Amino acid sequence: MRKTTTALAVIMAVGAGSASAADLRMSWWGGDSRHVATQEALKACGEKHGHTIKPEFTGWTGHQEKVATQLAGGTEADIMQINWPWLPLFSLEGDGFADLNEYSDTIDLSQWSQAQLDSATVNGKLNGLPVSTTGRVFFFNKATFEEAGLPLPATWDELIEAAAVFKEKLGPDYYPFDAQGGNDGLGAILNVSLVTTQMTGKDLVDPATNTVAWTAEELQKGIEFNQNLADKGGIRDWKTVAGGGNVDLFELPAWSEGKIAGSYEWDSTYGKFNDPIENGELVPVGLLTVEDAVTEGVYRKPSMLFSISKNSENPEAAAQIVNCLLNESEGIEALGDTRGIPASRIAAETLAEGGAINPRLLEAHKLVIEAEGPTVSPFNEHPEVREIFKDALEEFAYGNISAADAATEIVDGVNGVLAKF
Amino acid sequence: MGGDSRYLGLAYVAPYVAGLLIFTAIPFVASFYLSFTDYNLMRSPQWSGLDNYTQLFTRDRTFRKSLSVTLLYVFMTVPLKLVFALFIAYILNYRLKFINFFRTAYYVPSILGGSIAVAVLWRYIFADSGLVNMAITAFGGEPVNWFGDPSNALFTITLLRLWQFGSAMVIFLAALQSIDKTLYEAAAIDGAGKWHTFVYITLPLITPVIFFNLIMQMVQAFQEFNGPYVITEGGPLKSTYLLPLYIYEEAFKKFDMGYASAIAWVLFAIIMVLTLIAFWSSRHWVYYAGDKRS
Repeated sequence: MRKTTTALAVIMAVGAGSASAADLRMSWWGGDSRHVATQEALKACGEKHGHTIKPEFTGWTGHQEKVATQLAGGTEADIMQINWPWLPLFSLEGDGFADLNEYSDTIDLSQWSQAQLDSATVNGKLNGLPVSTTGRVFFFNKATFEEAGLPLPATWDELIEAAAVFKEKLGPDYYPFDAQGGNDGLGAILNVSLVTTQMTGKDLVDPATNTVAWTAEELQKGIEFNQNLADKGGIRDWKTVAGGGNVDLFELPAWSEGKIAGSYEWDSTYGKFNDPIENGELVPVGLLTVEDAVTEGVYRKPSMLFSISKNSENPEAAAQIVNCLLNESEGIEALGDTRGIPASRIAAETLAEGGAINPRLLEAHKLVIEAEGPTVSPFNEHPEVREIFKDALEEFAYGNISAADAATEIVDGVNGVLAKF
Repeated sequence: MGGDSRYLGLAYVAPYVAGLLIFTAIPFVASFYLSFTDYNLMRSPQWSGLDNYTQLFTRDRTFRKSLSVTLLYVFMTVPLKLVFALFIAYILNYRLKFINFFRTAYYVPSILGGSIAVAVLWRYIFADSGLVNMAITAFGGEPVNWFGDPSNALFTITLLRLWQFGSAMVIFLAALQSIDKTLYEAAAIDGAGKWHTFVYITLPLITPVIFFNLIMQMVQAFQEFNGPYVITEGGPLKSTYLLPLYIYEEAFKKFDMGYASAIAWVLFAIIMVLTLIAFWSSRHWVYYAGDKRS
């Protein structure tokens, strides 16, 4: 016993004397599998580099509020998982987080493409490292389409034709797709944005002028296109969606039973949407495009970043841990695909070689990476922009305003928000 | 009692006083200051004078909509809840079999009602394919779009509040039981019916409790958040977008703390004014034992 105590004391004394040993904190949001994997990765990377890292994790709900409060009080964790659209909120001038360019000796930045690094750079300062790249793809329920005797749609016209067949062969409450309403209106916002981008070849925001790139007339066509899908029975209308209450699509019995047989979702959420399906499986499909589309209009972005606090007392140690999590085998293997397919080249290769990624997820991710489209501005997800979009689309869906008025409200409103930056 | 026990008393209240100062008094004063600033959490507050209030009252359509929805909600919920709670308390005041079981059963929703779980349950009960619509269609009726129709959504949220009548009911029940039975006996001898007894004896004698419940329920109704947030998230068309939801979204979705503080202070002022009106009016309809007017 005495020997063990002495040995422990010696180890602790050596540890305390080590200049590089640091006590760090890391915060993130996620589900159980991510929590378990990240704690294992932190343990492995901590042991490798001689640091201890205290984990701080929550679910998605409320995490942004938590990080905001911590940043305001200067009590944020040394390493933070940051949602990419938060950059303009928390680091408008690029000085909200540590500039990771300063730690390029510690972090192997060559594992990311320049485009990926650019997307996480504000005012020339690298505010975080993309953990994974995500984008929206179409998922369709194969079993329902087979039941209707139809192949999976490859164009919007085929989807609209499928709606009529669904109603006739399967029943009036069957829909081939879902892109309308919900209480946050996200389905409608993203689908209207997709088709307007396809028609114009432009993202919502013109980065050169920081104004809305679409004219009201162009956006009006996108709004009418989405409404046409609802009118033809391709998607549920806004009122029907709202009638279900504030519930996620994948929680609906109509989704698990295959009555709603498709949606436009993040590739990384494949598992979440596929798991409840009772018969068969979801198949990822390339972006459906409008006639005379200028672009496929993929909505692709860094899903999240690992950032280091500008107030960290041990930024060098934090940089070692970030590099370990994203670029070293201890971190890569422990994290697996719990944050989607890794953006770091070496991590993606390591996982693919080890067969650690769900093949359907890989397929969905490939579709996102290979599709083309204009660079997506983080302002697409700015809370005020989202609110303006949602309010106008909802007023239109309830027949209170015309598509032209809705488009004008969105363009004027979003320009008002952009003018503040 | 020596000096020690005096300090002991202070020590006992110290945690409460500290909590009151840190979690209530200081944020209360701070939010008043912040309501005159432009503050987004990331930069220090910038003094903006009355800008937030000017915008609120002159240019903010969402505020006007949210305020009218909130007032409608309060004016619908509070009277309905008081009447309902009094009605149930009146029934439970009789010596029925298993009366204690019924009293407990009717109180349970109040314990559960504020929780997220019940709001989630409510969402499923009133969803388009939920329990209520199943019952309506079973009797040959047409299903109702409870959450999707702006004219129904607020009513559905109101029902959730109404269902939590238990705490008001228990207070009413206690008041009913404290009424002197001889008054009822005298009234019965004079030939008064049940209705007359209720209107001329019961109601006047429980007015202090009605007044208490009115104030408490009104304040609580103005602060309702969980129900509409979980069930409809304020929609559709902002028909259930109560002011606390608006405050939350401005503060924690848009990080406009100054503006959120201004809305919170307007809400506080409204509650204050309505409470003062209630107190002023109470001179005309609330009777206390020993009151010379009676």
